[in-house]
Amino acid sequence: MQEKANEMIKIFIDKEPVEAEQGTTVLKAAERAGIHIPHLCYHPAFPPEGSCRMCLVEIEGFPKLELACSTVVKDEMKISAKSERVVKARKAVLEFLLAEHPLDCPICDKAGDCKLQDYYDEYGLFESQFKEAKEKREKKLKIGKSLILDQERCVLCTRCVRFLKEVTTTQDLGVFHRGVHSSVNIYEGAAVENNYSGNLAEICPVGAITDEDFRFKTRSWFLKEGESICPLCSRGCNILIEYHPGFPRFEVPKRVYRIKARENPEVNDFWVCDRGRYGYSYLDEHRADKIIMNKIEGENVLTWENISEYLGEKIKRLSSAKKTSGIALILHTWLSNEELFLLHKIFKDDLKVEKIFFADLPQGEADGYLLTSETSPNRRGAQEIGFDIKPVDLDALASGTDFLLAFGPFLSGLFSPKDLKAALNTVKRKVLFSSYTHELNSLFDIVLPVALIAEKEGSLTNVEGKVQGFQPALEPPGESLPEWKVLSDLGKELGIDSKFYSELPSPEAILIEMGKKIPFFKKKND
Amino acid sequence: MKEKVLTEHFGLENLYKIDVYKKQGGYQATEKALKKMKPEEILEEVKKANLRGRGGAGFPAGVKWSFVPDTDKPKYLCVNADEGEPGTFKDRYIMSHNPHMLLEGIIITSFCVGIHAAFIYIRGEYEAIALRLEQAISEAYENGFLGKNILESGFDLDIFVHRGAGAYICGEETALLESLEGKRGVPRLKPPFPASVGLWQCPTVINNVETISNISHIILNGAEWFVKQGLPKDGGTRIFGVSGMVKNPGIYELPLGTSLKDIIFKHAGGMKEGKKLKAVIPGGMSAPILTADEINIKMDFDSLVEANSMLGSAAIIVIDEKTSILDVLKVVTKFYSHESCGQCTPCRIGNSWINKIVKRIAEGKGKKEDIDSILRLASNIEGNTLCPLGDAAAMPILSITKKFRKELESHV
Ligand SMILES: Cc1cc2nc3c(=O)[nH]c(=O)nc-3n(C[C@H](O)[C@H](O)[C@H](O)COP(=O)(O)O)c2cc1C
Ligand code: SF4
Ligand code: SF4
Ligand code: SF4
Ligand code: FES
Repeated sequence: MQEKANEMIKIFIDKEPVEAEQGTTVLKAAERAGIHIPHLCYHPAFPPEGSCRMCLVEIEGFPKLELACSTVVKDEMKISAKSERVVKARKAVLEFLLAEHPLDCPICDKAGDCKLQDYYDEYGLFESQFKEAKEKREKKLKIGKSLILDQERCVLCTRCVRFLKEVTTTQDLGVFHRGVHSSVNIYEGAAVENNYSGNLAEICPVGAITDEDFRFKTRSWFLKEGESICPLCSRGCNILIEYHPGFPRFEVPKRVYRIKARENPEVNDFWVCDRGRYGYSYLDEHRADKIIMNKIEGENVLTWENISEYLGEKIKRLSSAKKTSGIALILHTWLSNEELFLLHKIFKDDLKVEKIFFADLPQGEADGYLLTSETSPNRRGAQEIGFDIKPVDLDALASGTDFLLAFGPFLSGLFSPKDLKAALNTVKRKVLFSSYTHELNSLFDIVLPVALIAEKEGSLTNVEGKVQGFQPALEPPGESLPEWKVLSDLGKELGIDSKFYSELPSPEAILIEMGKKIPFFKKKND
Repeated sequence: MKEKVLTEHFGLENLYKIDVYKKQGGYQATEKALKKMKPEEILEEVKKANLRGRGGAGFPAGVKWSFVPDTDKPKYLCVNADEGEPGTFKDRYIMSHNPHMLLEGIIITSFCVGIHAAFIYIRGEYEAIALRLEQAISEAYENGFLGKNILESGFDLDIFVHRGAGAYICGEETALLESLEGKRGVPRLKPPFPASVGLWQCPTVINNVETISNISHIILNGAEWFVKQGLPKDGGTRIFGVSGMVKNPGIYELPLGTSLKDIIFKHAGGMKEGKKLKAVIPGGMSAPILTADEINIKMDFDSLVEANSMLGSAAIIVIDEKTSILDVLKVVTKFYSHESCGQCTPCRIGNSWINKIVKRIAEGKGKKEDIDSILRLASNIEGNTLCPLGDAAAMPILSITKKFRKELESHV
């Protein structure tokens, strides 16, 4: 779109003056002003389709009702979005849609979340006048990996068809037949098989395309949503996490039920890939929720209150004996910018630690659109902070390491248990920060349960160098805490540059400090 | 003096062959246009002729051509030979009797607008006619009227014949474009209009066969002469296709403005078997019906609009007293329900719904409320659809139901 940005004109919606961007449509202008105009086929990702006829409005000077979704605003345009004529037309369209619609709401996954239901609630609530036999159609067509199509519920908005044409360009769905027999379907012998298929269930405005991953598992009104960033690759797609509040509860075996895309035109538009959408079990499964003390001298009982003191004491001892070369770090790039920055400051800048390794998931394959080959969210951030991202060298680790601070569960995937054990056995003291209960944990003296990105605050730097902040969408389980908290306490404890650490109450404050030291992180004025 | 323009030589044997056609003065208009006229002069002449589209909407052809923007993109001409409107059978006569007259029109139109590729989108069932067109086109190539550097004028043009696959909606100009592009034939949202964004996103002129067939006559005889064949604001003749319960159904080329009564009772020989006239559909099935009392009317675009109907494709369907109006309504609603492309809600479901009600009434299971339901549903379709098919369905349904309500009520 070549819309001239920022040139504003004045239009009137229901007599109220409204500012509108030149070149925009009536529907977008109304939405910007907080006036909702019902629509089914219009989706902001695509050019207007004009087929559902739900968005009809009255415009002064036009004899017919016009489409809000496709009509471009003009200066001084006078629009009625809820006049009697408009309401009558909307009711008419709804009546037509519902005439051939099944009464499935009680067993429909979309209920509570369905545009057709909402609009009927708003404009309809009329008795059905339709006395004829409804068309029979396919109610359970498997159209892809985990998608089920119910043709009876379909309102033929063609959002799904257009998504597969314009976004994935795979064109797996089409409209077949004509008139009232028109129906969406896959082509013979084909299926919706691409890494973005899950978006279909999300953009379908009704319950025609449902996702087997979610189907019949819960009702949408039981769920709450929190904003986050997908950590499963380095794109940093903006997401919504839908979860059951009140977890844990007997009847509810898990917290997270669904990931949805959150609009961000600069990163992921309106979409997330299937890896990000369906790969959410890591949020609930095998989570560590207690501090584990496998091996610890004396009577010490470790709690989050005394942990930094405990760690600080070990480090200080090595440091005053000029033996910081005996310290080793194993990091990963799921840590936030702020956490990596604190780690760099404490261990590299202040303590001059040499042995810093990174243990991440192995590289995957990029899909040419959003999914990157990088399987962690913040490699770019680690680089910008100044880390040289070196893989773990077990031999180096095994020679003269007195104290190891390791982060994350990924180490176990990189080496055989035997080699790992042998190497770690040579290390005198070792502490692991991990979110998971894992065999690996038994190799460490102490395991500290930490929050995941979805459960903490901070920022990530995506593959393109975009720094994106995030807030907790979920509560961290049990005793888990975010790493930045422990690290800033530790910094304070160590007493080097203590003024610096004394003013870091939040990741936000850390990011501001980062900006002063590393120009890359200076907040761009947007 | 009014005369036949398009059908003048239709009786002549082998008129479809280029030699015979040329003997009747064929291709003189092309020579004149390409050698002696500038494109702007042709456009001026066609505008002055007030040639209104013969496909249905009656939009002035010259004005339509003038909307084509001046761009570097290729431009296209699509001749609408889909002839799907029930009752309409005029274009097939033109194409089978005198294909070269159409080709001449295409050549001159293309020269005028700056088009180098033209498509004739022809109804799938017209297989033999498509073949005849292909033959005429190859004759025209052989005689130097098509191809490169036509008549040494430096102008190039190719014509392609494309057969449709049997959907009424593909006669709607934007659905036609989709179909021609190899896609499912469903109408596009307008604007943009085809004149600026048409075939393969390029500026495109779309005209009916009969519209284009008039062009050579306008060029040869001038706009002033053409206007005299019809009305000042509606130049030329129309080929009226008369069908139904008349003695002599067929095509009648008559000046625009001829009275409907005369067409039925003089030209078409009056009612068959001496039956009484009940109603007339004056412009193809999409046109609102006229009762027997309403036929004292001039057949031109504006007069019919005044009578709340339309001239459309000038197909006149004559209905006698013996014909049940419920049967008429059944045919109409079945047709539109079957031919709705299904893209937009009111047309897709509304037409099917109405059709289900009418079918039920015909089965003897009608209820009093059904008549009002039909009126309510049809008026909910009217004006609210994506393409004109919605109105084309609602208008006849509304007029039939309103004007013959009593008779319909006798069935419920
Ligand atoms: C549903 C529908 C069907 C149509 N079918 C035809 C047709 O078969 N032939 C035709 O020439 N025009 C048909 N039209 C009209 C065309 O859309 C278009 O207006 C016409 O081809 C333009 O040519 P003209 O200006 O020369 O009349 C149809 C329109 C609609 C809405
Ligand atoms: S699609 Fe919407 S209206 Fe239809 S059954 Fe599902 S929830 Fe109900
Ligand atoms: S399946 Fe859903 S998205 Fe696709 S056309 Fe039907 S209602 Fe629209
Ligand atoms: S009015 Fe009918 S034919 Fe036209 S686009 Fe809508 S559904 Fe298709
Ligand atoms: S939203 Fe405008 S027609 Fe569907």
